[in-house]
Amino acid sequence: MKSISLGALCSLAALCSFGQEKYTVSGYIKDTGNGEALIGATVFVKEISNGTIANVYGFYSITLVKGTYNIVYRYVGFKDVNQKIELDKDIRLDLELTSAEKQLDEVVIMGDAIDKNVLSIEMSTAELDIKAIGKLPAFAGEVDIIKSIQLLPGVSTVGEGASGFNVRGGSVGQNLVLLDEAPVYQTSHMLGFFSVFNPDAVKDVKLFKGGIPAQYGGRLSSILDVRMKEGNNKEFDVTGGLGTIFSRLAVEGPIKKDKSSFIIAARRSYGDVLAKLFTDALKPGSALYFYDLTAKTNFDINKNNKIYLSGYFGRDVFKFTKYQGLDWGNSTATFRWNHLYGNRLFSNYSVFYSNYDYGLSLGTSELDKYDWKSKIKTYNFKPEYSYFINAKNELTFGGQAILYRFEPANAVTVSNGTITDISLDERKAFETSLYAGNDQRLTDQLSVQYGLRYSNFNYLGGIVYHYGDTLKGMEKPLEYTEEKKEWESIQSFGNFEPRASFRYQLTKTASIKGSYNRMSQYLHLISNTTASIPIDVWQPSTNNIKPQQSDQVALGYFKNFKENRYETSAEVYYKWNRNQLEYIDGAEIFINKFLESQLLSGIGRAYGLELYAKKNSGRLTGWASYTLGKSEMKVDGINYGVDQKNREGTWYPTRFDQRHNIKVAAFYDLNKKISFSANFSFITGTPSTFPTDRITVAGYVIPYIRGSERNNFRIPNYHRLDVAVTFNNIWRGKKGRTGEDNLVVSIYNVYARKNPFSIYFSQGTTRQPGDIPTVTSATQLSIIGTMIPSVTYNFKF
Amino acid sequence: MKKSIYLSLMAFVFFGCETNITPDLDTAEKILVVDAWINQKMERQEIRVTRSQSYFDNSVPTKITNATVTVEDLTSGVLYNFQEGSTSYYWDPVAAPFGEVGHNYRLTVRSQGETFEAFSNLGRVPAVDSILFKFKPAEIIIKEEYYLGEFMAKDPVGVGDAYWIKAWKNGVFLGKPAELNMAYDAGFSAGQPVDGQEFLIPIRNGFTNPMDKIEGKQNEFIPPYSVGDSLYIEIHSINPLAFDFLYGVYFQIARSGGFSELFAMPLTNSSTNLKSTNKNSITNVAGFFNVAAVSSRGLKLTQEIANEAKLNAD
Repeated sequence: MKSISLGALCSLAALCSFGQEKYTVSGYIKDTGNGEALIGATVFVKEISNGTIANVYGFYSITLVKGTYNIVYRYVGFKDVNQKIELDKDIRLDLELTSAEKQLDEVVIMGDAIDKNVLSIEMSTAELDIKAIGKLPAFAGEVDIIKSIQLLPGVSTVGEGASGFNVRGGSVGQNLVLLDEAPVYQTSHMLGFFSVFNPDAVKDVKLFKGGIPAQYGGRLSSILDVRMKEGNNKEFDVTGGLGTIFSRLAVEGPIKKDKSSFIIAARRSYGDVLAKLFTDALKPGSALYFYDLTAKTNFDINKNNKIYLSGYFGRDVFKFTKYQGLDWGNSTATFRWNHLYGNRLFSNYSVFYSNYDYGLSLGTSELDKYDWKSKIKTYNFKPEYSYFINAKNELTFGGQAILYRFEPANAVTVSNGTITDISLDERKAFETSLYAGNDQRLTDQLSVQYGLRYSNFNYLGGIVYHYGDTLKGMEKPLEYTEEKKEWESIQSFGNFEPRASFRYQLTKTASIKGSYNRMSQYLHLISNTTASIPIDVWQPSTNNIKPQQSDQVALGYFKNFKENRYETSAEVYYKWNRNQLEYIDGAEIFINKFLESQLLSGIGRAYGLELYAKKNSGRLTGWASYTLGKSEMKVDGINYGVDQKNREGTWYPTRFDQRHNIKVAAFYDLNKKISFSANFSFITGTPSTFPTDRITVAGYVIPYIRGSERNNFRIPNYHRLDVAVTFNNIWRGKKGRTGEDNLVVSIYNVYARKNPFSIYFSQGTTRQPGDIPTVTSATQLSIIGTMIPSVTYNFKF
Repeated sequence: MKKSIYLSLMAFVFFGCETNITPDLDTAEKILVVDAWINQKMERQEIRVTRSQSYFDNSVPTKITNATVTVEDLTSGVLYNFQEGSTSYYWDPVAAPFGEVGHNYRLTVRSQGETFEAFSNLGRVPAVDSILFKFKPAEIIIKEEYYLGEFMAKDPVGVGDAYWIKAWKNGVFLGKPAELNMAYDAGFSAGQPVDGQEFLIPIRNGFTNPMDKIEGKQNEFIPPYSVGDSLYIEIHSINPLAFDFLYGVYFQIARSGGFSELFAMPLTNSSTNLKSTNKNSITNVAGFFNVAAVSSRGLKLTQEIANEAKLNAD
């Protein structure tokens, strides 16, 4: 409650212009074509040279002194709407914007004259235009949201096939990925080659890397906020695509025109179906596929009430035989209710559920097998309010309550018919937070956003493990255990997380921005491998694991040229991280009731420079980004040099420390029929640990690293060019045929570079004779060592 | 456990490529290495005292000379002096094997003015009850009928036993890193206790079947066992710390490449139970000391056994 009253106080200070009569103009901004809310559409009042931005539901509200105003409603790629209003009473003005693509018979897609990047207080954020994503050359021809955001500054990956993404030198587990507000714990299909988001059902993607507003919390590095389409409420649409790996189909349409709509989108891979036609190698009981289903519906109850119901269900199955294989999947469900109190207080109540589960089986028969299932369930309630006080202040406040239930292992072993249950106890935790923040325009030049979030985490009930101290970097000895009641608090943590940013407008086309945020993270992704793996374990903070914390400052300069045809920005950031997890050598992270004894804790830091330039209009559009970054950790017991006794850690680069990161994406529209696109990536080779010595023990040749160094070398640089050509209206565009379609021919890794994923040291996999000395060597591995062409056919009718 | 996970991940389709390279490495530290795995077999027991070599130095490590190597039975007080030989320090059993189950032992190595110690308990070991062969029809990577070898052994009741299981096919030790096979009680690790029963199936058959490529073929393998082949199994008792050592070593050396590299752990130094007796010493030492009881059994796959296995095939 403290934070709310503090936020309220802050805003009271701003409410000092009483005396004159004030009225509010408010409403929803939508797309004429399909009735979808236009998230982030700007509402610009010419008379005050200022305005507001539509929220994630397309709602806007602005309160002004009585008078006559000219208001411009704008949205990227849409035609501006100019409205002259006589503001002598509160006005409800819902309106629809029309896509410029349809209006103007020309090939400009990517932009309008919008200077939002300069005017908005937001920094360190990136929004992706779904249309732009659709035109990018993609791996196997499949448009992918996670792959696309990796083309933005500050975002990277450790390599092909790796799940997830890294933001500003943070780990994969430090990103909070939200699908219609519900957390998605695993974002990958088929290891890391595709992500779980079906682009046909996604409306908006926004990534927060810094300057994170008070309403978001729970992870250190970033928030990826993915919003689903609501579904066309004007007419029925069927979209889909046939690709080399999988096919997609989405159906959307009105339930009641302009009032209610739905969308259902599905994808399934068919590698297994094809394989069965050509070979009988797949054994009975085997399966190799993934699928996902995304669905959403909404009802416009009346002017002040709207409800939304959305869900996702996806699964990957890799069964080699009936008794051997693994599978994983997410499911989420979100119910939301938008309610307007008057015309200035917008509220949204969300209730959502998320489940991530996976299973692994090994064995040969019912009598000899090993079955492991694990899941994490999240129940969530989140009330949020936006109070549009006046043209200068917008107060947001709310809270969140989350119940986590972790089932790290429901596992049995069967050996020669003897069954042993090796399950681990369920773990529970309750996380609550309260926040308040205000967006305030102090002068025509200076805007500030400030807020406070208070988060609290309670680790609940069950067996408590108490460990003693030992040599740094070694497994801690168990001292004793105790059992707490089911819902009794074992350990609680509370953290204040202040957030602040400012924007100072230098000229009409240039501004500087700065931000500070503190983040707390109570869930930890336990992963000790190069890439994150679908069966990695999520672990709550406990009496043995402290919550992770991070402070970040960022400063940026934003400048647009030639009437906003070109957008540029430069940002620097610095992050200090605490309670970062590491692992003892040989840690057993799967099904281990003593896992916490094998975790180490350290500090981290990351800093860098991000440059970004984007061309918004013309035949040639696209962007280029450059990131200069550094990401390091310091953990006692790791990288400690020759001091065997004290083992105090020294700084070492993290696995995702990439010094230079250059990304270029370009789109060229030759004519209405044919367009080209290309993207290029250059990434400094990632760090890796190389040995100095070899020791021979028990007949095996084992690598040894002088000074126990970590990540002391780098693998060679990564670079890759992809190209694609899109042929529009192959079949549908012809006379008498409605709808649209296109054929995308793309080539991934055009010059077939064998980009290294890793270099590993071994005595090889061939049998070496016992009587001569063992030969050791180094091997450079490329996950994709060739160019990969693909063809995808997309349609809409 | 984790080992088995990685084995199953390897099965993903892989269209990458691998190249042998020779990167310039930092200078080697050339530290002292003590390789002391003593067992109760009636054969020469050897302790190797050597120095580490540069990683790409593919020669036999040379023995450090003039060291004093002794193992003391701390339970009975018997002292075993290890003689200096040409490649190692050794002790030959005469009438009885080394040590007794349940006793504690101390290894002492004196070299170049410094003394190093390590401790080990001689743990119990279950008998190998039987060896079986199971019939499998031809398939995509093994293009003829073949047999899988498996052993049966039962971990004694009581947690805290650990074993290193070694296998030989036709007298050739299955010594590839990926064939390193350990058990903690009857299961995979201390954190998931499976006690007092038959070893779990991946331990019984996962590492006893050699997978060797047919020369010149990319994805074709020699049948693990055919009629006429033999499988011989030894179970060595090891200390829990030795289990941890081998467990860590497995991930450092069993690098099968391909997709499994996505999930490789960072290279780290393996643990050691050797320590300098001088508490202020900063001398780095590597290696491990363990004393083991051993049980064994072998079986030749005869035509009769093969016929019976074929009849019982599912």
